[in-house]
Amino acid sequence: MNTGHVISGLGHGAAVVWLLVGGFFISRDAPEMTVTQVSLVSSAELDAMTAAAAQPAAEPAPEPAPEPAPEPAPEPAPQPAPEPAVLPDPVPEPQPQPEPAPEPAPEPVPEPQPEPAPQPEPLPEPAPEPAPQPTPAPDPEPTPPAPVAEVAVLAPVTSPRPRPKPAERVAPQPVEAPPPEAETAPEATPEVTPEPTPDPPVVQPEQPAAAPEEAGTELLTEANRDQAKLAPSASIRPKARPARSEPAAAETPDETASTPATDPATDNSDADAIAAAVAEAAAAAAAEAAASDAPAAGASGAPMTQGEKDAMRVAVSACWNVGSLSSEASATIVTVAVSMDQSGKPNPGSIRLIDWQNGSEASARQAFEAARRGILRCAKDGYPLPADKFDQWENIEMVFDPSGMRLR
Amino acid sequence: MTPFKALALSLAAALSLIPAGVTQAEPLRLIITEGVIEPLPFAVPSFVAENGEAGDYAANISQVIAGDLSGTGLFREIPSSAFIAQVSSFDAPVGYPDWKAINAQALITGAVSASGGRIVVKFRVYDVFSGAELGDGLQFAGTTDSWRRMAHKVADAVYSRITGEGGYFDSRVVFVAESGPKNDRKKRLAVMDYDGANVSYLTDSSSIVIAPRFSPDGSRILFTSYATGFPRIYVMDTGNLKARALDEQPGTMTFAPRFAPDGRTVVFSLEQGGNSDIYSLDSGSGARQQLTNAPSIETAPSYSPDGSKIVFESDRSGTQQLYIMGAGGGEPQRISFGQGRYGTPVWSPRGDLIAFTKQHQGRFHIGVMRTDGSEERLLTASFLDEGPTWAPNGRVIMFTRETSGEGGQSALYSVDISGRNLRQVATDGPASDPAWSPLQP
Repeated sequence: MNTGHVISGLGHGAAVVWLLVGGFFISRDAPEMTVTQVSLVSSAELDAMTAAAAQPAAEPAPEPAPEPAPEPAPEPAPQPAPEPAVLPDPVPEPQPQPEPAPEPAPEPVPEPQPEPAPQPEPLPEPAPEPAPQPTPAPDPEPTPPAPVAEVAVLAPVTSPRPRPKPAERVAPQPVEAPPPEAETAPEATPEVTPEPTPDPPVVQPEQPAAAPEEAGTELLTEANRDQAKLAPSASIRPKARPARSEPAAAETPDETASTPATDPATDNSDADAIAAAVAEAAAAAAAEAAASDAPAAGASGAPMTQGEKDAMRVAVSACWNVGSLSSEASATIVTVAVSMDQSGKPNPGSIRLIDWQNGSEASARQAFEAARRGILRCAKDGYPLPADKFDQWENIEMVFDPSGMRLR
Repeated sequence: MTPFKALALSLAAALSLIPAGVTQAEPLRLIITEGVIEPLPFAVPSFVAENGEAGDYAANISQVIAGDLSGTGLFREIPSSAFIAQVSSFDAPVGYPDWKAINAQALITGAVSASGGRIVVKFRVYDVFSGAELGDGLQFAGTTDSWRRMAHKVADAVYSRITGEGGYFDSRVVFVAESGPKNDRKKRLAVMDYDGANVSYLTDSSSIVIAPRFSPDGSRILFTSYATGFPRIYVMDTGNLKARALDEQPGTMTFAPRFAPDGRTVVFSLEQGGNSDIYSLDSGSGARQQLTNAPSIETAPSYSPDGSKIVFESDRSGTQQLYIMGAGGGEPQRISFGQGRYGTPVWSPRGDLIAFTKQHQGRFHIGVMRTDGSEERLLTASFLDEGPTWAPNGRVIMFTRETSGEGGQSALYSVDISGRNLRQVATDGPASDPAWSPLQP
């Protein structure tokens, strides 16, 4: 064996040993792999991005703005305030002497002179001390509950939750004051004006801007009127996106019924023809059945859309007045059944109470009467209901739930 | 798609249509959560005078009824100038369309007859839009002198039929009538109808009197007088206006009295040796019981309507706060935890709320809270509001409001517990310390 072979053997052996054992001397805590999603960008897009990135330097503000301040100490000095009307009753003012003479004033002094200003004396500014001056004396053992004063401060006095918005009208969702030119309406609707374009005969009826009447989460009272003025006029928070109206379930059945027949992807024309024929026959049978159920109304169209239901709901809401109900009645939920005629007017004799919650029978009766008044009062010209769907609204059950507009 | 599959799908779709068309009997269901809160418009055509003697009474009674209802803030009177129809006979059928046309939701008709010093008032209430009468017709009879009371009774009945809760119009208020400048004010007890009418004075102004309180049956009045130079509790019979001192203990001062619902027990504050605590006293036997024992000031006790508990104010925690304890004493439980100071608590006749005076940041408020201290709501705010008292139905609170400055005057105000309908009660002069009576029998 020549030297070369020895060296080669040793070298390879060492390499094998290092491979087998060397791992023990290396930390296994390999650094965490960080994986980043990468997307390919074309040069044109890159140019566009860099061009945009060049300007923003001027507006780095968006972030810093957020938190104005975490509420400056809401604790406004409970001490300084003078004693309220601690009332009345204690110590007769005339006696500067807090020490009530043991003798119960034998000299009645029928003089009606005794310096009036008897007790109330709650003048906001002065009067640092209540009248009676109890002078707790030594009070050793009665466990002077001094710490309770702290409790008063630490207790959940007022949670920093957003200040309720007082307004003349209470609704589940507070609504900002509408612009002066807007009419009030139960739902916000954008202003619609006739299109200026002369050529296309856009049949857009003119309609003034409308916004819901201003509403808050609590009634505007004398006590909170000033606070309402001082409160921040606008919140930075963006308005919630309006709820998307539910897709009318109306079309669904038709679509499902017709889809198999018109699907271009289907290449089996025989099957399509059979399916279309069966669907057509079944739909005709269904329409016939519906017509026979409501002969006066004729065949019903698609189910009532959410908008049609909302129109009815809003119309009744406008006349449902709970302002004159007792506290109990204004917390009672009543379900009222009513039969309508084809002109959209309720049949007064058909209005009846079918269920109630959260109240006594007497309060349910009052709540029902208010609901009945509401239904009848706004029905002068008939409710805005689609005549072709009469069979769907011929009988209506309305649940009147005033819990969101509590009076007290 | 195989022909079989397509056929099956089509059948399924078609069958799903059939029930939709057939089962249309299901009524449309709407949930209405928003309405309006506004006074209910009503019409009170002048009551029909059934004889010549009843002419003035008929007109006056109609006015008082309209005033009572409008004064609640829950109703709005439609002026007679807007009427399309006239009511010339009490028993004539009601022309609902005419009243609907002016949006009168409630219609009150009535008739009055008077003869020989007696008067009879009868009335009916109609729900115009329902075209039905609310309840049956009623009538009251009495002397001509009591025509206002009869008007209040009619208003109470109308109020009750429409709102579902009792009225408070046929009630009285005892208060302290004041006169003279602020630094030399004369005070005497007076009593009036809830609306400020029919004032009569119970004491002269020879001594200072404060804090009058009616007994549960309205036959007696507790008050604190400084006739001896020290505050002392007296009880007066409203029939003969005779007063006598309660619990005459030498070396003590007694104040802030209030009857228990049983009308026999009186709870009050007694100051002795510089310390004031709450005591109860059996007005029949004279037996006295100490209910609190603390080195702090305990005062302004008020019973719950069932007589089982007492709410009072105390500065035992370092600031003036409200506490509740059992009617026989025991460990009090603090219920007020808001900022500021709380005093003069009064339990609502319904038992669900406690009214109080609150001082915070240099302003005074009248407020209400649940009996566990939750849902505190401030109803008023001013330089000085204090001393709330509940209407018999627990819906309205009356209190004293004093204006600032040298010429500051006190007056009585009332406010609905919703915080609406704040209005001054008409009195001949400055007034304070109101206390509402129960409804009169």
